[in-house]
Amino acid sequence: MSKHRLGELEEIVLLTVAILHGEAYGIAIVNEMEERLSRRISIGALQIVLRRLEQKGHLVSEFGEATKVRGGKRKRYFTVTNFGKQALKETKDQRLSLWNAIPNISFGN
Amino acid sequence: MKNTTHTPPPKWMLRFFRWFCHPAYVEDIEGDLHERFALLIEEMGLRKARVRFVIEVLLLFRPGLIRSINLFPELINPGMLKHNLLITYRGFLKDKSTFLINLIGLSTGLACVLLIYGWVTDEMSVDKFHEKDSQLYQVMTNFHGPDAIETWEITPVLLGETFMEMFPEVESATLTSDRYLPKGKISINDQSLEANRLFADKRFFEVFSYELLEGDRKQVLADKNNIAISRKLANKLFESTEDIIGKTVEWSNVYVKQNFQIAGIFEDPSPNSTLQFDAVFNYDVVLAVSDRWQLAWSTNAVKTHLVLNEGTDIDEFNDKIEFFMWAKNPKRKTNRLFVQKYSEKYLNGRYESGVPTGGRITYVKLFSMIALFILLIACINFMNLSTAQASRKMKEIGVKKTMGADRRALVWQFLSESILMTLLSCFVAVGLVLLFLPQFNMITGKEMQWHMDSNAMLSIALIVIITGLIAGSYPAMYLSGFKPAAILKGKLSSSWGEDGIRKSLVIFQFALSVIFIAGVLVVDRQMQFIQSKNPGYSRDNVISFERPINNDDIDVFLDELQRLPGVSNASNMVGDILTGWDDQGGYSWSGQASDEKWIFQAPKISYDVLETLGMGMQEGRSFSKELQDDESKIILNEAAVKLMKLENPIGAIIEHNKEPREIIGVVGDFNYGSLHHEVKPLIFRLSHWGRDILVKIKSGDEQNTIAQIEQFYHKFHPDQSFNFSFLDEDNQRLYTAETRVATLSKYFAFLAILISCLGLLGLTAFTAERRSKEIGIRKILGSSVWGIIRLLSTDFTKMIVIGILIALPISYLITKSWLNNFAFKIDLEWWYFAGTAILTLLIAWSVVGLQTLKTARLNPVECLRDE
Repeated sequence: MSKHRLGELEEIVLLTVAILHGEAYGIAIVNEMEERLSRRISIGALQIVLRRLEQKGHLVSEFGEATKVRGGKRKRYFTVTNFGKQALKETKDQRLSLWNAIPNISFGN
Repeated sequence: MKNTTHTPPPKWMLRFFRWFCHPAYVEDIEGDLHERFALLIEEMGLRKARVRFVIEVLLLFRPGLIRSINLFPELINPGMLKHNLLITYRGFLKDKSTFLINLIGLSTGLACVLLIYGWVTDEMSVDKFHEKDSQLYQVMTNFHGPDAIETWEITPVLLGETFMEMFPEVESATLTSDRYLPKGKISINDQSLEANRLFADKRFFEVFSYELLEGDRKQVLADKNNIAISRKLANKLFESTEDIIGKTVEWSNVYVKQNFQIAGIFEDPSPNSTLQFDAVFNYDVVLAVSDRWQLAWSTNAVKTHLVLNEGTDIDEFNDKIEFFMWAKNPKRKTNRLFVQKYSEKYLNGRYESGVPTGGRITYVKLFSMIALFILLIACINFMNLSTAQASRKMKEIGVKKTMGADRRALVWQFLSESILMTLLSCFVAVGLVLLFLPQFNMITGKEMQWHMDSNAMLSIALIVIITGLIAGSYPAMYLSGFKPAAILKGKLSSSWGEDGIRKSLVIFQFALSVIFIAGVLVVDRQMQFIQSKNPGYSRDNVISFERPINNDDIDVFLDELQRLPGVSNASNMVGDILTGWDDQGGYSWSGQASDEKWIFQAPKISYDVLETLGMGMQEGRSFSKELQDDESKIILNEAAVKLMKLENPIGAIIEHNKEPREIIGVVGDFNYGSLHHEVKPLIFRLSHWGRDILVKIKSGDEQNTIAQIEQFYHKFHPDQSFNFSFLDEDNQRLYTAETRVATLSKYFAFLAILISCLGLLGLTAFTAERRSKEIGIRKILGSSVWGIIRLLSTDFTKMIVIGILIALPISYLITKSWLNNFAFKIDLEWWYFAGTAILTLLIAWSVVGLQTLKTARLNPVECLRDE
């Protein structure tokens, strides 16, 4: 159980990588997060999460082609692994089960 | 994207990023950064985008993304390290003389640094061990006399307590004194010991952190019948420190014979405490004896120590207390107070015009500099010898570079060589330190011990690495910069640049040596001058000792003493003539410019003192028993006559606090106190009651006479020990600090010139070897041995002469400023410096000459045949 536990930022990054499906590299992830969640994070914060997720096996990465706008540097594309998917799913299930367990009375509807 | 000509991000920031980022991540993150920067510009404009970008890069500096700590894989890599060590070891074997020169130079240099480092840390730690060190201050008095400001340590007795009441900044205060009551003896049962006593008040152990083994800090000195004794004294008296609280001991001297109750035992004060004492009494003991005059605001009697609140503004506090004495006593407008940090007093104990101006700190700085310079001279040897021998390393470097070694790897190879050299020298240096520590302690008057703790290890490691880097950096940069193609072809043109650097380093070495030698010469002359300067009286064959007990029978004592066969004169005075502490204020005379009262040096002497000291009268007569002189008669020195502008001093009357004083004689100026001070106006007062006896003995049979005097002394004081000293020996003790400087600087100058010459020897040997073919050819063509010696030594002579020329003005300035410590000093003669120059030149020539002579006398066949 515990090895699947994801941090909040980890979860969001992992989800964004999944959304971008095959187009997920550093800046694309930052922009996507900014667009969808109005949340801007620094490259440093993102990179550290990406590396950690990669190390844990939630993500894999490979180099893409170089573009001019990037000063001739290649992109590194990230994809979610099956293990990552499972972790996301488990997180979601946990949340849902918690939501379902809330008695109606507490939120007053 | 849209704009094809986008601005690239700031280059220096990217370079920084590439430096710290983990190599595996550099590429894609850098790409992200480019993209991000383009977006930022669109969003907020170029300028803001740059700022934002810098922040962005800094945010990337985190543990997960930076490269691993192993920044220097070449050094840590075991294979390379082994290789480097092996090459270094072979280098040592191949060229033993260079290795030895470096080893001797670096190890003596390091030994100097270690010794001085130990000494400096020891000096710096004095009095810093008190818990409240940062808040601990001492009140000082600036006496504004008519002609100068003098600074005193002593203040009125009541000052501390009054300050505590008046100023909220003063957290606590205590007083200390070791004056007024003689040492006397502390005894229990049959045992009695002389004890180094200190008088203090009840807050002493709260203000100072002397460790109490037994007793309560607040209560130890609360009662005036209490005494606290040191562990050493307790062990001597009771052979233990247990169960002696509450016991009584008797303390007896001339004034007091009383029982005291032991209320505390303290650990012996460590050697780095300025206060050294075996027993502490309550100051009330002194007050009980000395009547209440001690409590008057006009009497300066004790040292006052304050604990000020943390964060007190010292300048502000000094402003508050400056005129405090004036408020207490309108006559004391001249006494102005200020506080000085207690632990700083030890190193900054000299005052000029009322402000601290150095003291021991000067010597601490001086010797730190000297030690560093000696090490630097040794480092220069290493640099010069390594770069001079570049030709030997050429092939190695060329091959390595061709095989793909990059410059950094080579730099590390040479640095590891120099660090290894330094490390080896360090072991030798530690050995030298252990060997010479006792002598060093003797010269410096310290009790340092060698102990290895983590701190010392760290400092030594640091010293080794820094020395290694300094010595190795230049050769490493120089040697690793060769172009492989050029050196393998054998084209190493030694450009002027490298040669110039080597020459200037030699010049620098010799300039330092010259400064050291000139310094030693001047210090030595000055010390001789001091020891031999005629002080205006005769110190030869005069011994002095103190009478311990009641002095009523002084007339009988002196009378009988004078009748001893070997004694030519005997007399008594108060205090002594060498420390020159006896001052008295309150003098005035007619014809003064203002009606201020003047303070004079005013020793109290008895009838025969001037005769005993062989001080001739310039005018008038000396004090006389037959004429029944009393205290109304005085004798002046010439300076006093000049100050008072007296035309006919004999018979003139001056006033001391309204009482008339008749001048009966004038003596020539003489040195009352040490030669650090000018001769000041002085008044001899008459007193019969001095307990300090001066005896002039006939030369020839001193031993015997002294033995007789001792016997005689025991007749009067059967149970006292006879401690005498010769006046000229006491005189030398006044200049201990200077004598230490003189001795130490002799050693250091010797080392400096020795190491410099070793370097020179190495260089000459090398040059001679390199030019051996040339010399061979020259000899075949008919050159004489002389011609060859001249050829080889001209270059070195030039360097040394330039070094001397640079050093002479500097050494002149330095020695001049040192001499300013003395009121009586030698003139700096030109030949001190000319002599130094010639001496240096001679030493250098003999080193170079021997080496070149050896080369010049070689049979040309020997050096030409190996091809």
